[in-house]
Amino acid sequence: MIEVQQLTKRYGDVVAVDHIDFTVRPGIVTGYLGPNGAGKSTTMRMILGLDRPTSGRALVDGRSYVTSTAPIAEIGALLDAKAVDKRRSARNHLLALGATVGIGGSRVDELLEVVGLTHVANKPAGSFSLGMGQRLGIASALLADPSVVMLDEPVNGLDPDGILWIRGLLKGLADEGRTVFVSSHLMSEMELTAEHLIVVGRGRLIADLSMRDFIAQASTNRVRVVSPMALDLMDQLAAPGVTITSDQPGELEVEGLTSADIGRAAAAARITLHELTTVDASLEDAFMELTRDEVEYHGSTETARHDERKAA
Amino acid sequence: MSSLTTTPDEIAQSAAPTTRPADGTGSLRLTFGRVIHSEWIKLRTRRSTFYTLAGLLVTLVGFGLIAAATATGQVEADLGGPNSGASDPVSTVLTGADLAVLVSAVFGVLVGAWEYSSGLIRTTLAAVPKRLPVLWAKSLTFAATVFPVVLVGALTVFFAGTSLLSGAGVESASWSDPGVARAVVGTAFYLVGIGLIGLALGVIFRSIAGAIGTLVGGLLFLPTLASVLLPESWDSVLKYLPSNAGLAIRSVTEDPSLLSPAVGMAVFVGWVVLALVGAAVLLKRRDA
Repeated sequence: MIEVQQLTKRYGDVVAVDHIDFTVRPGIVTGYLGPNGAGKSTTMRMILGLDRPTSGRALVDGRSYVTSTAPIAEIGALLDAKAVDKRRSARNHLLALGATVGIGGSRVDELLEVVGLTHVANKPAGSFSLGMGQRLGIASALLADPSVVMLDEPVNGLDPDGILWIRGLLKGLADEGRTVFVSSHLMSEMELTAEHLIVVGRGRLIADLSMRDFIAQASTNRVRVVSPMALDLMDQLAAPGVTITSDQPGELEVEGLTSADIGRAAAAARITLHELTTVDASLEDAFMELTRDEVEYHGSTETARHDERKAA
Repeated sequence: MSSLTTTPDEIAQSAAPTTRPADGTGSLRLTFGRVIHSEWIKLRTRRSTFYTLAGLLVTLVGFGLIAAATATGQVEADLGGPNSGASDPVSTVLTGADLAVLVSAVFGVLVGAWEYSSGLIRTTLAAVPKRLPVLWAKSLTFAATVFPVVLVGALTVFFAGTSLLSGAGVESASWSDPGVARAVVGTAFYLVGIGLIGLALGVIFRSIAGAIGTLVGGLLFLPTLASVLLPESWDSVLKYLPSNAGLAIRSVTEDPSLLSPAVGMAVFVGWVVLALVGAAVLLKRRDA
């Protein structure tokens, strides 16, 4: 479990992470979503004790990670797959990392097998493709069989095969009861993997909700109707709670009614319909909408924060 | 990635060995000994380590033998370099140390800074979040690797060089002469010490170029430049510089412009400790 409490990181005037609170629970994959520069990597570095928070704190399984007695068995992290000594072999890279907690060659070989790098185990890590480097990074994250797995943009640059592989891997790790925390700037990468979403923008927490709730919010239940008698239909449908917009003559977008409701109303009034379609906003759109708001309302949240400070 | 035929389930199973105890860590435990082991693996799996150690040996022995051969008059050569006019036989055979110190310094800088250039330092510090054990382990493995090599080099060149000198009937030295053993062992000590200062500067600068520039400037150019430019009254200050304090350790003859060997040793160790403490403070305080 990862608990982040009022976590804040300031670099000079720039606030990279701004009073963020969230909890990452074990047993599910939690997606950490936000545009580039939203503060995702900074948050992860603070959880690992690499960056010192300006204020607030991050706890791993109830304690500060710095005090851990077996650090890489507590969090297995992948921050940057390119952060390897390019001339050292994959196997030696893992051996050096594992040695800090007494992990030896057999476990290293096991992990190389798991990520499919056995055949290049003795090749220098610098000769690896992006995907192979990513696999080596995953191997180092899983090396000490950690209870928390934290990956920063793990599918970045992976081929479709690799993306599928990571999805399966993450779900498997979560099913074993581990805490799985994965960042991404693309909703599409999270859609099929994450059960819970934490969304940030400009260092601030925007949303912390289950994927199911996010999907429910995203489905706006808009229905597109095309009819030669669109104006008559508008009269029939008009009711409190129903919004009807029309961009073109003969076309309506209806919110607040299902397609079944509209079809029934049209039939009752003997109105001809040419098209009747439910329009779901894509999750990507919903995500963009969320983060766009953060940018737009930035000015007003400034004042909110000011008030907060006065109150405190 | 055609190599990947494992299904997610298989992956999950093999990623979680059944030996894993409920507390999640089991026998896995971070200890200082294990951090040393980790740094040792890193050191020995870099090919440059072997080239550098070989380079240390070659410069130390090779240049010492050339200097000895020149002193016998059998070889005509204009060596140049800071110690070419060595006045005593021990300084003559150990003259290679003046070049070897650069090799050791650069090696130290590399050990201190190479993880910063790749970003690997984040992985390392995430694995050892208390951080300081990493610096101590790097220093220990460096010293333990370099010291035996330069000690063997210094002993080899001393005995080979002096036999060359005495064989030619030129003034030579014997191991039992006062100060000789101290100067030979002190040379090895000096080379390791400068390397450790380099390692500390590598951690402080987090860049190979910056650390090497500072070290070479401070070690070679500053003392030379200062002794030329500053009035003689400054000599009492200049002898406290790391290079001059080191010279006091590895000189047999008493030179009034240098500290006594014992004080030189204390001052030199002081510089090494200062550099390492500076590196420790910054390593602990800065964001990685």
